[in-house]
Amino acid sequence: MIDFDFLRSLDFSVVWTYLPVLLSGLLTNILLTGIGFFCGGVVVGTLLALANLSSRRLIRWPALAFVEFWRSTPLLVQAIWVHFAVPVVTGIATTPFQSASIALIFNVAAYCSEIIRGGILGVGKGQFEAAKALGMRTYATWRKVILPQAIRLMLPPLVGTAISIFKATAILSVLAINDLLRTASRLSTFTFQPVEIYTAAALLAFVVGLGISMLGYYAERALQRGGAHGR
Amino acid sequence: MDVDLVLRHSGALIDGARITLAITLVGAIIAISGGSAICAMRISSYRTLRAFARANILFFRVTPEVILIFWAYYCIPLIFDTTVSGFWSGSVVLGLIGAAYLAEIFRAGIAAVPRGQSEAAEALGLKAFPKWTFVILPQALKLVIAPLVNYFSEFLKNTTLLSAIGVMDLSLQAYLLGGQTFQYLSFLSAIAIIYFAMIFPVTLYARHLEAKLSDRSARPAGKRSFWRRKAPPEEVTANP
Repeated sequence: MIDFDFLRSLDFSVVWTYLPVLLSGLLTNILLTGIGFFCGGVVVGTLLALANLSSRRLIRWPALAFVEFWRSTPLLVQAIWVHFAVPVVTGIATTPFQSASIALIFNVAAYCSEIIRGGILGVGKGQFEAAKALGMRTYATWRKVILPQAIRLMLPPLVGTAISIFKATAILSVLAINDLLRTASRLSTFTFQPVEIYTAAALLAFVVGLGISMLGYYAERALQRGGAHGR
Repeated sequence: MDVDLVLRHSGALIDGARITLAITLVGAIIAISGGSAICAMRISSYRTLRAFARANILFFRVTPEVILIFWAYYCIPLIFDTTVSGFWSGSVVLGLIGAAYLAEIFRAGIAAVPRGQSEAAEALGLKAFPKWTFVILPQALKLVIAPLVNYFSEFLKNTTLLSAIGVMDLSLQAYLLGGQTFQYLSFLSAIAIIYFAMIFPVTLYARHLEAKLSDRSARPAGKRSFWRRKAPPEEVTANP
């Protein structure tokens, strides 16, 4: 069954030799995760959520179609599609990293817009009406009343999304970005020690995913402590 | 998009779609049976089993799928001294990842059955087996179906990852056809539409089930269109 001779012959020192290369690959994943979460999730996602909540059909329907389409197609197809389509449509050839970022941003935005929309809808109409009755202006209403409550509702699903984004960044290596996976596969063909290299890559990725999940856990707890009545 | 060209190569695309569905089938079987087993361990009274299930769920939920697929494809043949096809190693890995997600979904469903049901079953003198099969699981199953269907829309998306290890699924077929004809955009747009046509109905069905479920418990059933959905339900998250 298990080839013990082979297991005994494993030499993990190769991982230490190439650890800086693997870590720089991992950094690319983390960078893409950040781009996806902040540009895609927070900025574009909020805009999409607001468009989706708009009372004008002309704004709401295109936004809805966009969200449904990006949520119902695989990221891998989206990334390759963007990489081939953007130069045709705009005439500007994008680097793989740029194509990957564009695809990731739209993909994440579509997912996050639903979470943000859900959070805002979850706050309840009475809060808007109460703020209005107190004579609060639109900005103050959102800043002081709606958002603090909505963010508390959004945080748990957003943490889940952050982990998904990190996992999704590994998919983008199909576009030949030097991320962790591509670095690992190049190293393994170079050193002929795939087991050591891939095991190290998987463990590194696991540690980062665990870190994101713990970060989210503590952020959630901190927010809950800050609120008067929790969720 | 060159529709004629795509239609001329529809045979290869259908072959690819068949592989995609085969991966989904294999993965679904592993995910559902494995998920049930892990869920059972997760709620068992033995600490070691619980710890194992927790570690398993955590690992498969936070590690990128593609890295695990590559690991399995390149390392399992060496460690076990066999040959494994990309299709099988990839589907099994996707199935194991699915098992971790489904275990959490099942657990949430069981936890949502009121405690009184279990107590009532015990008060009636039911032993463990009838208690679970006739009282708790039927109720839990009803709550679980919507997130289960929803997960399978995710799973269908994940099947594309197997193209990275050379499994000739729909996405790889389209990419290769694009390379042969230099019409990448036509084929990629075509499969984007095909994937949408496969995945979107599954999501809509999950939403429909969800709406039906919350209608029954909250308000009388009314006519509500798909397009005026409620806020998405909170995702089940496993925190360490």
